Order: sequence, then structure tokens, then C-alpha cells
Amino acid sequence: MSCNKAENSHFTDTPIVESYLLPGDTVAVKLTRQTPFYDAVTYSSDDINNLTITISKGGESFQLIPEGNGKYIHDQLHIAEGDTVSLNFRFNEKDVSGLTWVPAKPESMSQSVTRIYLPKIDSTSGFPGQGSMPEPVEITWSNPDNSYYLIIIENIETDPELIRELDEDEDRPAFAFRKAPTSNNSEMLRPMEFEYFGTHRIILFHVLPDYAALYEQNSSSSLNLTNPSTSISNAYGIFTGLSSDTLMLEVKKE
Amino acid sequence: MQRIYKNTYTAVRWLFFHGLVTLFMFCGTKAQGQHKQYNFNNPGNECFMEYILNPPNGVFESIKRPFVFVVGKQGETAAEALQRDSIWKEPAFHHYMFVYLPGIVARQTDRLRCIETLTSLLTYNYYYGHDNLFLKLSDSAITDSMLTEARLNMIFSAICLQDALPSSVISSAAPESNLFKETAIDYENYHRRITDDGTGTFFVEEEQKTTNSEPVSDKAEKNYFGAPTRQHFTLSGMVRDKSTGEALPFATVMVKGTTNGTSANADGYFTLLKVPTDTSVLLAQYVGYQTIEVFLNPETAGRQLLVELPSQAISLRTVTVVGKRDDLVLSGRQEIATMKLSPKKLEQLPNTGERDVMRSFQLMPGVSASNESSSGLYIRGGTPDQNLVLYDGFSVYHVDHLYGFFSAFNSNALKDVQLYKGGFESKFGGRLSCVTEITGKDGNSKRFNIGGDLSMLSTNVFAELPIGKKFTSVVAFRKSYKGFLYNKIFDKFSSTSSYEVPEGGGGMGRFSQETEVTSYFYDLNAKFTYRPTDRDVVSLSIFNGADKLDNGSAFSAAGFGMQNARFGSSSTDLTNYGNTGGSLKWGRKWNEKIYGNTLLSYSNYFSERDRTQERTTYDNDGNATTVKNGVIENNDLKDYSLKSDYEWDAFRNSKIQFGLFASWYDIDYNYAQNDTTDVLQRSNEAALAGIYLQTKTRLFKDRLIVTPGLRTSYFGQTGKIYAEPRLSMKFHLTENLALNAATGQYYQFANRVTREDILSGSRDFWLLSDETAVPVSSASHYIAGLSFENNNYLFSAEAYYKDIQSLTEYSLRFDPSPMGVSYDENFFSGKGYAKGLELMAQKQSGKFNGWVAYTLGEAKNRFDIYGSDYFAANQDVRHEFKVVALYKFRRWDFSATWIYATGRPYTAPSGAYTVTLLDGNTRDFFTVTDKNSQRLPDYHRADISATFKLLGGLRGDKKRREYGYIGASIFNLYDRKNVWYKQFMIEDGSIIETNVNYLGFMPNITLSLKLR
Repeated sequence: MSCNKAENSHFTDTPIVESYLLPGDTVAVKLTRQTPFYDAVTYSSDDINNLTITISKGGESFQLIPEGNGKYIHDQLHIAEGDTVSLNFRFNEKDVSGLTWVPAKPESMSQSVTRIYLPKIDSTSGFPGQGSMPEPVEITWSNPDNSYYLIIIENIETDPELIRELDEDEDRPAFAFRKAPTSNNSEMLRPMEFEYFGTHRIILFHVLPDYAALYEQNSSSSLNLTNPSTSISNAYGIFTGLSSDTLMLEVKKE
Repeated sequence: MQRIYKNTYTAVRWLFFHGLVTLFMFCGTKAQGQHKQYNFNNPGNECFMEYILNPPNGVFESIKRPFVFVVGKQGETAAEALQRDSIWKEPAFHHYMFVYLPGIVARQTDRLRCIETLTSLLTYNYYYGHDNLFLKLSDSAITDSMLTEARLNMIFSAICLQDALPSSVISSAAPESNLFKETAIDYENYHRRITDDGTGTFFVEEEQKTTNSEPVSDKAEKNYFGAPTRQHFTLSGMVRDKSTGEALPFATVMVKGTTNGTSANADGYFTLLKVPTDTSVLLAQYVGYQTIEVFLNPETAGRQLLVELPSQAISLRTVTVVGKRDDLVLSGRQEIATMKLSPKKLEQLPNTGERDVMRSFQLMPGVSASNESSSGLYIRGGTPDQNLVLYDGFSVYHVDHLYGFFSAFNSNALKDVQLYKGGFESKFGGRLSCVTEITGKDGNSKRFNIGGDLSMLSTNVFAELPIGKKFTSVVAFRKSYKGFLYNKIFDKFSSTSSYEVPEGGGGMGRFSQETEVTSYFYDLNAKFTYRPTDRDVVSLSIFNGADKLDNGSAFSAAGFGMQNARFGSSSTDLTNYGNTGGSLKWGRKWNEKIYGNTLLSYSNYFSERDRTQERTTYDNDGNATTVKNGVIENNDLKDYSLKSDYEWDAFRNSKIQFGLFASWYDIDYNYAQNDTTDVLQRSNEAALAGIYLQTKTRLFKDRLIVTPGLRTSYFGQTGKIYAEPRLSMKFHLTENLALNAATGQYYQFANRVTREDILSGSRDFWLLSDETAVPVSSASHYIAGLSFENNNYLFSAEAYYKDIQSLTEYSLRFDPSPMGVSYDENFFSGKGYAKGLELMAQKQSGKFNGWVAYTLGEAKNRFDIYGSDYFAANQDVRHEFKVVALYKFRRWDFSATWIYATGRPYTAPSGAYTVTLLDGNTRDFFTVTDKNSQRLPDYHRADISATFKLLGGLRGDKKRREYGYIGASIFNLYDRKNVWYKQFMIEDGSIIETNVNYLGFMPNITLSLKLR
């Protein structure tokens, strides 16, 4: 009968990996540790800022260079569409490995309009009725294999004007918003979703299922405690390939 | 007293085995009045004597009359004694029978025993007239103690010692006509009267003077002293309860002084092979009953032998009974991995509110005692679903009442429970670990009976009605009521699902709560038995039981913070589950050697769980928006089966058991979240059919019993044939010491799959195996044990190893396919093993009895999804220690138990981490510890109980009928806070851990009454 002390440990020092592989970019991997729920946990003696991390691609292996704060990069290692990339290192007496590939750039991305007009909303105007709002913007792309896509809409003005005036104690909303991942071939951007006037960049990411899953999982669900699925073994986090295409949209004041 | 018993036996055996005893009965021709002279035994035999029968009225036949035995002086012959004696001439003794025996010469004690045997012979069934047997001795050398030792004062109503006076017990001061005065006995009705009185359980008052309290009844049955007419023959018969006529399943019948024995089958029929002679003595035993000796004679042995065991009189004299292991409520047996329980005496053990067979087994080694919330048994590292529970032949799939604190079986309806902890025989199949075989009562076949119990948890009524001689019936009904005990248990569970006040209403709002909780459990058992002949039995057994657990509530509130908005909210937490089953069985003893029974059965288990919150919000215009979320989980299982089992005592040394079985399963499971999403929906139907064959062979003069067997099944879902070879053996090293070993292959086609839920406790549900998501699981057993058993003690040690393949677990913790495309992929397969050692020392008889048991166990599983290492299975418990002490004092039964068990493992949230998404937002995730790497605190608990018997009749009556008892028990005496499971809530990135505890200090009182 085995009887070792580790059996009753509240905490296993499992590293967190964060790495997105985009075509054209160089490889960057960020490692962090979990925040334990309990005091007096035992961490691995391995230095998370100074590990030997290997990336393999097309039969070649590259060792990443630690940059501090758990960040590792490789200047020469560029990612391309269709690459299959693996990650390997050793931490806390376990071999950590990950495997992913870089999906193709979205094809035939288009938008129903390039410009929409929205009314300025303030305390005097009240909330606009449905009828005064323009039609949603439809973004379409080609998705014959029902793979996953994700849209992020980002205001790229330096100091954009708010569509809706804020209450005194309200924080300024973020410059970007996103749509949930989808395996369809279109997405609607409703006018209500925009917070600022000005030029917006619409980025359509072609993502892998493991990334899509990050959005899908509701980690604070009281129903269960779901770990995000991951292609990495002996580590948590995300190691995934993706590619993107971009369009622009003007939001003008009426 | 023991010595006498043994000596008698030795003498009898000596007589038989030397073949010297032939009874010579010739009619004396010496004319002296109307007497006749006979020889008893042959010359040379120590009991050889000539004796004279002298009935003054000249009638030799009737034995239903007073007898006076007269023993001559030293050296005197029977004839001389007759001549010297004159009392037979007195008119008062006209219808008496006088027996004249020669004087006793040497070794008086032995000769005195010869008197006993002759008496037995002459007064065939003399106990009818025990009151009218008298003895007159003329030898001054004979003392009281000799008479006592030869048991003569137990046989004769009065003994007159002519020349040796005086004596405290034996008096000759009175004239013989007074001393030998007949007690009026209605011989014709005497037997009937005994039978009537014998219905029920009796309390025999302790006699003030218990210098020698040898029970007479054993010897009373010995009535044949002739030579055997058959040797090495096969004897068959039936064992039943003397007072109620209930067949006693699995009662043991063996040839006394040998290891040659057999067990009756479920209908009480037995066949005993190789009985040495038709004058052998048999021992018949059954837990909770007096062990009796059956003295065969050529007449009884030649036909179907009816052995009637008297229910154990609550006699304080039992301590002196020889070789009786009848005091135990629960018994380990020398058979491998087998335990037996007598529901009849269950009240002797402490309980939580209900006498409970499943709970009681948890006091034995190898059966986990630390699962208060499961009546299903965790045996040898197995889970409850791996335990085949058969109730009158049909499978019961869920045995819990009220969250598992009580089992679904009403002990008033049961008469026998057998537990096979592993290595079970080929007759049983479809489960990986063990078998619990429950036999329901047939009902009193002699008299109408009614009774009931009232405890702090439930009311319980039963009635037994025989119609004619061939039909018996029993109906038992039990229903909980919302008393103190029910509420305490219910609240314990339901408080864990405390309703959260919806956001927006909390604090600022005014809310009202309406709670109307209607929860209960009930069960109904009914059995109708018809015995058209003494070879056939047809019975219909029906079982229905259900739990309704309602913990719902409703809120309505007007939120001040939300202007005119209102919201209403209702929470449903409704669980309905239960079983309905029935079996129709026909058993027939085809001939002396073949017994078969055929059974048609139906079993349905259903569970419906609706745990949802419905929240309705109204906007300013009064438009309602309803959002419903939560979990709906339904499970429905149907099992239609046909079984046919046969036992054929084909050869002198072995019997063959074979049978066939066919089942049709229909299992549905549906799990939905948020009322719209069917997370999992499965519906499977399949047939399972097969045959088995096994033989039980005795070798080396019965020292070795080998049982090889093979069971093969065809399972429709997979279209495959599964072969299960099994082998068990038992080797008697000595009469008391036995070595056991068993091995075998086991398959399981319907599994209870665990749905892992770390935050609020895992649940499980039944699914039918298929080729893909839920594979057919299998196990191999290896068991070896050594046991020592004598009349008073049982010591046993047993080691087991069980290798299990294709276990299934369901978890939503891992999400191999995002976007919820196929939740079927959330089934994970793994394997496991369980190993352990069980030690037990049991004192089986006496006022003070009980046992000490220790189990060292390990149960580990390996599922790839949880990592590459073996982890502790949910039911893994390293050490388990149990002490059970029972003490009888007059009308009281006291018991105390203490249980210690290592804490069970669990998985806990361990930490959090953050991932930055492409849009720059971050998301938090939680991690959990390695699977089951945590341990709950050790479990321990003490229970005590006292039972006081309620007796009919008057104080001072020697024999009083027991018509019930009042029992008081305390569960968890020192209020130990044992942890049931941990509950976790994650709030603001930190974790709140709550221990959900098992029951604390819990007193209970039970009143039980019965007509007989």
C-alpha cells in the first residue's frame, strides 16, 4: 500500500501556458503559476522564469530565450499558415507538452455596409426607440468546414467620442468588444453594441476549438467546475494557432 | 453435563458402528400373570438386559399411559424384581405399565444410561407422557448425582429410591401410590396443545435452581434404538420454522460429528448426500434459531424429512446449551466470503430509527460502515451498483430511502439475507463485486398474525394470513412521517441546497417565502405463497417503494432599488425515486435429487430530479420574462427477466447446478441544464441471455469441496458472448479449521455511472453498456481465507484482490469538444483494482457475544483523463475497525458498537489562474487538486441500544409469550462530527469550503408489537 505525503497535498504546482501563434508573428510564450486557494502550499523549486523551452516546427527544434517575468521568445522563429507547432519543457518533475497548428486565413470576408449612422444619446434625449436605429452590420465569410471563428471589434481612434453619455460614477467602456465564437459563416453587429463613434477595425479570427472553448466555459458556474479543455498536457492555459483578416467600419454621428 | 452428552453420543455411536445392537424382542412365554419378557440388546453388550413388561390390565399396546420402571436390587433379575414387587397389584395402578429391569451390578452410571435408552424405546415419543413416567430403584449405591448425570431425573417425573434416603429432589417419604400418581393428560390433544403454544417466540423464565439445566428436548426426539437399515444414502427434506411454518432458506443441515453438511436452498429444501446410516444424528442450524439434533430412524429417513427449528426462546439457559450458535443476529460463515443475517433478531443491534438489514451488514468486515448516506453496500472496494441485490429473485437497482440513510427493505417482510462478498458462484451474474440475496417471508402458515412498529421515523404494519394448509400470505407496509428524526435527516441534506436570494432582491427588497414541503417515503411488500403439494411451491412477491423529497420554495419581492419592477421566483427541488418489482416463482422438488425453480420477474427503478429555479421578472408595463435554470435529471430502468435454476444431486460425491436466464433491459437517462439544453440523453434497450453450469464435488472424505462453474452470457448491445469461468474450494484441515479459496471472472452490463461534481457532490445514474461510451465492465476475483470455528467462536482471515476493467465515469469537468457538440464524449473509461485483508473474531453464543473486525483495504482507479497514475477510488478506505458487543440480561438486550474508518478521498478546488484573451480581456479559471488526492477526516462513531421485551402472561409464569419490545437507541453517542462531503463555493475569486456533516447525536425509541 502506498503511503506518501504528497497524496494529501492541496495543491499541485502546475504551470499556466499562454501562447497565441499568428502567421507572420514570432513565437512568444508566457508562463505563470496558479494562485492557490490555500495557504502554505509547496511550490516546485523550478524557476519558472528560466526554463528550457523547446518549440518544434517542421522537424526543427528551437530553444526559446527567457525574457523575465515568465516570458520566452524567439526572434527568428516565424509562424506561417498551416504550421504544426509543438511545445515542450519540464516543470515540477513533469514533462509539459503542447501541440497545435495554425489555421488558414479567413476567406471571402465581407461586410453588409462600411458605414453606419447612430444618434448621440444623452440625458435629455432619452433612450432611442427601436425604429430610429439602423440595421445591424452583417459580416460574412466562407466557412465550408464549420470551423470556429471569432470577431473582435476595436475602436482605433485616439480619443473617440462616446455615443451614450456616462453617469457620473460610471467607468469609461472598453474600446473593443467581441462576439462569441461561432462555427457559422456570418455574424451580426448590432448598433447598440457600439460605445464610441469613429473608425472601427473588425478582426475576424479563424480559431481552433480549444480557443473557442475558453469563451464557452463559464468558470464560475455553480453547476460544475470545468477546466478549459486544452491541447497541453501537464499544464493549464492556452497554446493555440490562429489567423485573422480585417475590415473597417465607420460609425458616424447622425 | 457436556460430558454426559458426549458419552451418550459415544455410546450410541459405539453401539451402531459395532453393529452389535440388534433389538431382540421376543414374546416371553414364561407364564406369570400377564407379563412378557424381552431382551434388550445382545449378550455382551453393556446394555444387554432382560426385562419384563407387566401391564396389570393385560393390555400391552397403548403407550399413552403411565409407566413405572422398577429396577431390582444388585444381582437381582427382572423376574426376581417382579416377584418382590407388589405395587402393580394396587387397583390405582391398574392401567399402568410396569417394566421390571434387573438390578444394576457395576459401573452404575453406564447402566443407568441404559435405562434411559430403554425408556426411550419403550415409551416411543414418551415426552407426551413425561409427567407420567416413574422410576423405582432398589440399589443403595445409587446417588442423586448419578441420577442427575444419567439425566434420569429429567426423564422421570418421580424417582423412588427404596433403600437410600433421603434426597432433596427425590423423595420416597410419600407412599408409592402418591408418588407415582398419574397426572391427568389428554393424550389426544397433548400434541396440538404444544403446537399452539409453540406459535411465537417465548421467554422462558430462569429457574431459581439451575444446577443442571440440560435441555431435554434434544433427547426427547431420540426414539429408535434399532439397527440401521440403510447406509450411505441420500436424504432430502425441508427445514422450516416450528412456530410459523416459514421455510428457512439456506439453513444448514449436517451429519453430527462430521463435516458432511449441506445448505437448504432458498425454499428451504435440502438434500444431504452420503448420510452414514438412517439412524445417524443430524444437526440443523439457522441463525436466530435453536440448533436442533434430528435423530433419524428408518421411518423418518425414508421419506421427505421435515426439520422444524424452534425459534430461539429467550431463555437464560441458553448459555448451557451445547454446540449452539444460535445467539447471533449476524453471522460470518465458514463459507468463503459469505455472511448471513437473521432479520428476526435485528432489533438487537443499534439503529438509526429503523431496523435495517443493509445497515447491519455494514458492521461486518469488508463492508464499509462509513457511508451513512448509502444503504447500498460498498463491499471490498466495490461500489453499490456492483452489488447484485436480489429480492425474492428479482434485481433491485436502488436500495436507498431518504438519501440513503435507510434501506428500501422493510425488515418485517424479510426472513433471510445472505451476502456473498466476492467469488460468488455461477448461479449469480451481471455484477462485478458481490451478491445480496434477500428472501421475503412466506407468512405464518399456522396462525393469523399481525403486528407493527412505531418509531420516530415511521410506522410499520404487517399481517400474515394463512388460508387452509396450502396458502400463506404476508403484507407489510411502512411509511415515514415527518417526525423529529425524518426532519433532522431531511434538513441535513436539503440545507446544502439552501436557496440563494436572487440578486436585486437581497437586502434592499422585502421578500416573502412560502415553503410547503411534502416529503415522505413508503414501501409495500406483499407475498403470496401456495404449496399445492409438498413438492411444489408457487409464490408471488411484490415490492413497491418510493421517496418523494420536496425542498422547493417560492419567493416574491418588490425591489425598492428597481423602481416599479417586481420579480417573482420559485425554486423547485423535487426528487422522486423508487422501485417497483415483482416475481412469480415456481419451485418444484422433482424427485429426491432434482430441485428446480423458475422465476419470472419485473423490476423498475425510476428517479426524477428537478432542481431548478424559475425567476420571473416584470417590467414597468407588467410584461413578464421567465428565466428557468438548474438541472433536470431523470433515470428510468426496466428489467424483465426469466430465470430457471436446477440442482441435481447426480452423484454420490457431487451435485450439478445449472440454469438459464434471459433479461430485457430498457434504460433511459436524461440530464438537462437550464431547461433547454439536453446535456445528455440516452436510451438503450438490450437483451442479455445465457446459461450456467457448476458442480459441487466433495473429495477426500468430504474434506475438500470444489465448485467449478462456468457462466456464459450473450449481450445484445455488443453482440458478443461473455464467458465467466469460476472456481471456489474449501478444504477442511480439521473439523474446525478450514481453508477457502475462490477465483472467477465477472461481467457487468448495466452500470451506475458516476457523474462527477466537485462543487456539490457527485451523483450517479444507471446506464446500459454499449460498445462505445459505456463499455461492458469486467472483474477478476482472487480470494483466499482461513477460518476456525467451534461452537463458541469464529476466527477468520480473508485476503482478496479484485482487478476491474472498463469502469465508466461521466464528468463535465473536461470538455474535449467545445461548443457542446457532443456531451456523449464526456464519458471516460478507466480501470481499477481493490485489494485487502479482513480479520474477524466472533463470539457466537452466550449471554455476551459479538465480534471485532478489522479491514485493511485499498481501492484505486486509473482513468487517463485524470492522469497517468492510479488514484484512490471514491470508496477507498484504508483501515476500518468495528467492535460489536451484545449482552442479554433477562428480558433485556443491550448492544454497543464502535466504528472507525479512514476518511474517504475527495477532490477539491485548489487554485485559480488567468488567461488573457485576444481582445485584451482576461478570464479566470479554477484548478482542482489531483483526482481524489484529499482525504476527509477519519470517521468514527459509537452507537448503543437497549431492548426490553414485552411479554404476555403473568409474572411468575414459566413460559411467557413475547408480543413485542420497546427499543431505545442512541446513534452517534458522543456526537462525532463526521464529514459526509465538502461543499465549495467560489466567490470573488476565493473559495468557501463547507463541511457537510453526517448525523450527530440521535436518540430514537421504537415500539414493536405483534400478535405472536
